[in-house]
Amino acid sequence: MPIIEMKKVFLLGHRQEREKIFNLLHNLGSVEMVDVKSGEAWDEFQALVEPDQPPENISQIDATRSDIRYCLDFFQRYFPVKKTFIQQFTGGKLELSEDQFAEHIESLNRAGEIYDSCRQVEDSLARLRNEETQANNLIAELNPWESLDLPLELVKDGSYAVMGLYTVPRDNSLDLQESLAEKVSNYYLEEVTLDNEFLYFFFVGLSEERAAQADLFKENTVTEVTFSQLSGTPAENIASLHKQINDFEEERTSILREIENLLEHRPMLMACYDYLDNEYIKHDAVSNLARTENSFLLEGWVPAPVLKDLEKTVEEKTETALLISRDPGEKEKVPVLLHNRGPAEAYEVVTKLFSTPQRREVDPTPFMAPFFFIFFGICLGDAGYGILLGLLAVYFSRQLRIGESGKQLLKLLLLGGISSFIFGILFGGYFGDLIKLPPLWFDPLDQPMQMLYYCFAIGLVHIYFGMGVQAYRNIKAGKPLSALFDQGFWFIFLNGLILLLLPGFETAAQWIAIGGGAGLVLTQGRSQSGLVLKFLSGLLSLYNITGYLSDVLSYSRLLALGLATGVIAVAINSMGEMIGGGVVGTVILSIILLGGHSFNIIISTLSSYVHTSRLQYVEFFGKFFEGGGKPFKPFGKSASYVDVITPKEG
Amino acid sequence: MTGTEIALIGAALAVGLAGIGSAIGVGIVGQSAAGLVTEDPDKFGQTLLLQALPGTQGIYGLLAGFLIMQEVGVIGDAPMLLLEPAQGYAFLMASIPIAIVGLVSGIYQGRVSGAAVGLVAKRPEELGKGIVYAVMVETYAVLALLATILLLFGIDVNG
Repeated sequence: MPIIEMKKVFLLGHRQEREKIFNLLHNLGSVEMVDVKSGEAWDEFQALVEPDQPPENISQIDATRSDIRYCLDFFQRYFPVKKTFIQQFTGGKLELSEDQFAEHIESLNRAGEIYDSCRQVEDSLARLRNEETQANNLIAELNPWESLDLPLELVKDGSYAVMGLYTVPRDNSLDLQESLAEKVSNYYLEEVTLDNEFLYFFFVGLSEERAAQADLFKENTVTEVTFSQLSGTPAENIASLHKQINDFEEERTSILREIENLLEHRPMLMACYDYLDNEYIKHDAVSNLARTENSFLLEGWVPAPVLKDLEKTVEEKTETALLISRDPGEKEKVPVLLHNRGPAEAYEVVTKLFSTPQRREVDPTPFMAPFFFIFFGICLGDAGYGILLGLLAVYFSRQLRIGESGKQLLKLLLLGGISSFIFGILFGGYFGDLIKLPPLWFDPLDQPMQMLYYCFAIGLVHIYFGMGVQAYRNIKAGKPLSALFDQGFWFIFLNGLILLLLPGFETAAQWIAIGGGAGLVLTQGRSQSGLVLKFLSGLLSLYNITGYLSDVLSYSRLLALGLATGVIAVAINSMGEMIGGGVVGTVILSIILLGGHSFNIIISTLSSYVHTSRLQYVEFFGKFFEGGGKPFKPFGKSASYVDVITPKEG
Repeated sequence: MTGTEIALIGAALAVGLAGIGSAIGVGIVGQSAAGLVTEDPDKFGQTLLLQALPGTQGIYGLLAGFLIMQEVGVIGDAPMLLLEPAQGYAFLMASIPIAIVGLVSGIYQGRVSGAAVGLVAKRPEELGKGIVYAVMVETYAVLALLATILLLFGIDVNG
C-alpha cells in the first residue's frame, strides 16, 4: 500500500496536562494538527467549546527568537561558517550531543546580553563606515586643490579684496580669462588644476569690481568652492584625512576582534534558536485547539500504522487524555504520506518532485520505478561509470547525515549505478573503450538504428503501461466504458498502425487500425451534444495521434544520451592515446583520464537523471497521474542550525 | 576545396556554434547566480548545478565534431581520407542540426536556468522544478544531436 491510510484523531485532555501532552506529541512527530474550527465537527462543538488562543508569552518567545536570529546573521556576515560543497546540499548543521544541547539551553538568559553587544558593535561599525565615507568624499573634493600652497582659512574676503576658490567648465575657461582681461582692471587668477571637465582656479579681485566679476562668473557658469571648516593647506588636510582613515581601519579591526570574542557564543545561540523555534511551534499550535474552562480538544491526522503506538503512549504517559480515532470523511482533505517498500522507495523522491498524489489516487512510484531504473541505465550505459557511481552513492550515504529525501536520492543513484553496470556489459562500454571487451548484446555505436527501434519499443511499453494504469483507474471508479473508449480504442488503433509498418501483416493491420479508429471517432465526442458535433469532435480526436507519435519519438533521447556518454568517453581515451610514453607521458595520461572521466560521469549522470525524470513526468505521468495532494506535515521538531545526536542504542 | 576540407568545416561549425550557444547560456546563468551568491553564499552549489545545464549543447557539438574528425581520419589510427566534394557536403549538412539548434537552445536554456536561479533564491527546496523547466529546452538539442549522429552514421565514406 504505497499511500498510507490516515486516521482522524481527537484528543481530549485536562488543561493542566496540555504542555506535557504537547511535548509528547512534538517528540513523536506523528500527528498533523488541524484547526478544530475548520473541521467538519465544528458546528456541533461550537456550542460546547470556544477557540483557544496561544499563551501570552508567545510574543516574548518570538522576540527572543528573532534577536538570536539577528545575532547569528550578524556573525555569519562577518565570520561566516564555511560549508563544504557537499554540505551546501545536505545542510551541514552543527552536531551536538543531548547533554551539550541541554547545557547550551541553560545559558539562554545570556542571549539578551549578547544581542545588546552585537547591536552596539554593529552601530559602531555603521558609524565608522559613515565617517569613512565622509572623509573619502572630502579627500575627493580636496584632491584638485592639492597643489595650492595656501592655508584654506586665509581664503576669505577682506575690506579691499575678495578672493575664493572656483571651478569653471573647461570649455568656458578661455572665454572667462579673455573677458576678465577685457572688463576687470585688477585681478589675480591662479590655475590650480585642469582636468577633463573643469579648470580649478584661485581668484583675487578688488571689492569695488565685485559686481562685474560676478556677472562674468555667472555667464561662464563658474562655481565657488568653499571649505569653511578647514584650516591649513589642502595638502595638509589630505594627509591628515588619510591618517584618519587609517585610524578608522584600526578601530574597525579592534571592533571585529570584539565580534570574534562574541563568536564563542555561536554554538549556544544556535542551540537556543532551535530550542526557541520548537517552543514557538508548540505555543503556536495552541491556536488550533478548542477549549472549555478546564479541558482542551485537539484534532489531527495520524498515519494508521502508528496509531496504536500513539494510543499506547497517550494512555501510559498521561492521566486525563482521551484519544478517539475514526476513518476520514468523504469530503475531508486528508494529507498524503507515501510509503514504498524495497527499491521502489528510492523513486519517491522523483514523484515528490513532480507532485504529491491525491488521497484516492494511485501512487505512481512503484509503476515508474522499473522504467526509471532501465532508462537511467541506458542513458549512462557504461559498466565502469556504473561501478563508480554506485560506490560513490554508498560512500556518501554512509558519510553524510542527511534527511530522508537525500537518502532516497543516493539510493536512486546507487540503483542507477547498478543499472548502468548491467547496460554497460550489454552494450560493451567500460570507461568508453578503455577496457576492450565485446558487448554481450550489441554495440549501439555500430548499430544505432537497431538501438533506436529498441528505444521506441520500450517507450511504447512505457506509454501503454501508463494508459493501462489510467484504464484501471477508470474501471475502479466504476467507468469501464471510459476505459474501453479512451484507452482501449487507442490501444487497438495504435497497434494497428504499428503493425502496418511490419511486412506480412498489412491486411490484418489495416482492419485493426480502421476498427480502432472507427471506435475513437464514434466515442470520443460523447460528451458533446448533438449528433454532428459528436461526430466532428470524434473525428478531430484522431489528431491526437501526433501526441502519441511525439511521445514515442521522445524516447530517442535514450539513444542520444547513451551515445553521448560513450562517445565522450572514447574521445577522452583517444586524447590520452595521443600523449607519448615515458614518465611525463604517463603522468599526463593519468591526469587526462582521471579528470576527463570524472567530468563525464558528473555531466552524464546529471543528464541521465533529468532526462529520465522528464520521460516520467511528461510521457508517463501525463497519461494517468493528476497529483496535487497535500503532503503530510506532522507537528514535530524543527532544526535550523543544530543536529542533536542521540547515542545509538545497543 | 576538397571534400575533406568541407567536412572539416562541418566539424568546426558543430563545435563552434553549439559552443557559442552554451557559452552565452552558461554566461547568463552565471550572472544571475553571482548576484544571488552575494546575498547567500551557501547557494553556490545549487546555482552551479543550474549553470551547468546549458553547458551540454557545447558538449554535444564537440561530440559531433569529434565524430566527423574520426570518420574523416584527422584523429585516430586510420589514415586521413580524401573525400569527394559531394561527400564533404554530406558531412557539412550532417553537422547543421546540432550547430544551429545547439546555438539557439543553449541561449534559451540559459535564460530559463537564469530564471530558475531566481526561483532557488526564494524557494531553495524547489531546485528540481527549475531543473525540469530547463531540461524541456534541452530536449531539442538532444533531438538535433540525434539527427546529426544518425546522418553521420549514414554517410558512406568508402563509396
